[in-house]
Amino acid sequence: MIKKYYYEIIAVSRRILTELLHTRNSLFFWMLFPFLMLMLFGFIDEGTSRSFEESAPGILIGAALFFSCLGGPIATIFAERKQLTLKRLLISPLSGISYFLGIFMAYLVIALGQTLVVYGVAFFFGGTFHGSILLGFSIIFLSVASYVGLGFFFGSKFARTAEDVNGPVAAIGVPLLVLGGTFFPPSELPPYLLKIAYLDPIFHMNEAFKGVSANNLGWSEIYDHIIFLIIFTILSLLMGIYSYNRMLNEEKRL
Amino acid sequence: MAILEIKEVTKSFGEKRVLNGLTFNVFENEIYGLLGPNGSGKTTTINIICNLLQPDSGAATINGISVSKVPKNQIGIVPQEISLYENLTCTENLWFFATIYGLSGEHRNKQIKKCLEAVNMTGNADTLVGKLSGGMKRRINVIIALLHRPDLLILDEPTVGLDVISRNQLWELILNLKKQGKAILLTTHLLEEVENFCSRIGIIKNGRIVAEGKMEDLRKIIHAAKLAIIESNNRIAIYKRAEEYGLTYRLYGGDLMIWLQKPMEIREVVDLFDGIPVSSISLKPVSLEHIYLEVIQNEDY
Repeated sequence: MIKKYYYEIIAVSRRILTELLHTRNSLFFWMLFPFLMLMLFGFIDEGTSRSFEESAPGILIGAALFFSCLGGPIATIFAERKQLTLKRLLISPLSGISYFLGIFMAYLVIALGQTLVVYGVAFFFGGTFHGSILLGFSIIFLSVASYVGLGFFFGSKFARTAEDVNGPVAAIGVPLLVLGGTFFPPSELPPYLLKIAYLDPIFHMNEAFKGVSANNLGWSEIYDHIIFLIIFTILSLLMGIYSYNRMLNEEKRL
Repeated sequence: MAILEIKEVTKSFGEKRVLNGLTFNVFENEIYGLLGPNGSGKTTTINIICNLLQPDSGAATINGISVSKVPKNQIGIVPQEISLYENLTCTENLWFFATIYGLSGEHRNKQIKKCLEAVNMTGNADTLVGKLSGGMKRRINVIIALLHRPDLLILDEPTVGLDVISRNQLWELILNLKKQGKAILLTTHLLEEVENFCSRIGIIKNGRIVAEGKMEDLRKIIHAAKLAIIESNNRIAIYKRAEEYGLTYRLYGGDLMIWLQKPMEIREVVDLFDGIPVSSISLKPVSLEHIYLEVIQNEDY
């Protein structure tokens, strides 16, 4: 049984990565985007090794992973509907868990690629990853999981046309990025906005990852962010799975 | 032995009853043609067999096991629409579906190669599906359902959009599968294909089978040796004359047809309608199309 899930997860994730390799555009831009953003923000902020160290976490978690790991699953579900492959999957032995985990794994691989690009640039300009790599990876893992969960939610709820894919990401996502301190430190926000930012999951992702990466903070110093992230990840996964199942039930009737 | 058994299946969507005691079997070594107008319940039937929908009552079994419990790799379905990953090559599409159907290693590779050969697609194995012609895509669409060698194969309009050569190749493949002992359920609007290739035919109307059997059994529905197709601007006179001679007449798709109980020559038919303005008369053997129209249009069924 475990073997079945293993093969299915690998098949789904290999399929998505192969499709991306064939089309190239998405992969290229997902790698170019964090590279350009980090160059820009690194140089806006004096261009020192420290400025790259401080900009890298926000660019990775808030910007790069947001667009690839949230936008990616939405596009995957949209393509699945457009190509009419969803129904073919429904009648196959592929389990829903394998499908979800396969997509999650594919985007985790992309996330790791983006991490290498971002930290490659940061290291090139003298930056360092100061904290625990395991803790840093855990935050990336939770961020990818929550983005993929949200991607499933938006994808299965709204993604019927290409416009539907871009709409929710732009309308809801971009304000959350700004509020979450992706492009400038949250300390620059007025107090009332900072209070609202505490409800923004991207704020907690950024703060936790920046704490570990740039300021060598440990678990005890960022646990409140991590707890928020864990709760948010569980919630977004539940939302994603619930709306995906609802969509499947609708598809079954067609 | 029956591979697929559908017994007294009913299914309603709200107030609308789509299946109404549907019963039929598909045996091994058999191609069963399921015919019916749009909305007659064909798609609902396929969805129930694939366990996408649950029947309200009755049973659907494959190899004696309820479709809700039967391993999904016992069924292969060729959907009406082309459902492939456009940004994967043919081999990559086949690899993906073979893997989720539980094939692995050398066996998977052999099956992929064999299926590509069966539809003459080896030369396009590494071409992106998005760059293939419609006919080629349809061939890949079909072989995906064969990769895991299912006991029951469901073909939903499999030859739509195929040119004559591709269609013949595909039928050769389907007939080979039949020889291998597979049970094949076919739905199509191409009645000629059903007439030529199906072992048995079932006509579904208002959610139940109203006529079923081999082609020779179904021919008995129309009690005629031949059909006379008559074109006339005075159809009323034709009807009256036919009634005088005790002949049955029907309008099939706008064509007025007279059932001739015994084989007749054109001259004899012309004589029958002497005195009535007739622009043309032709004779036709009874085909599945006529039987189908008779069953669908006649309220007695």
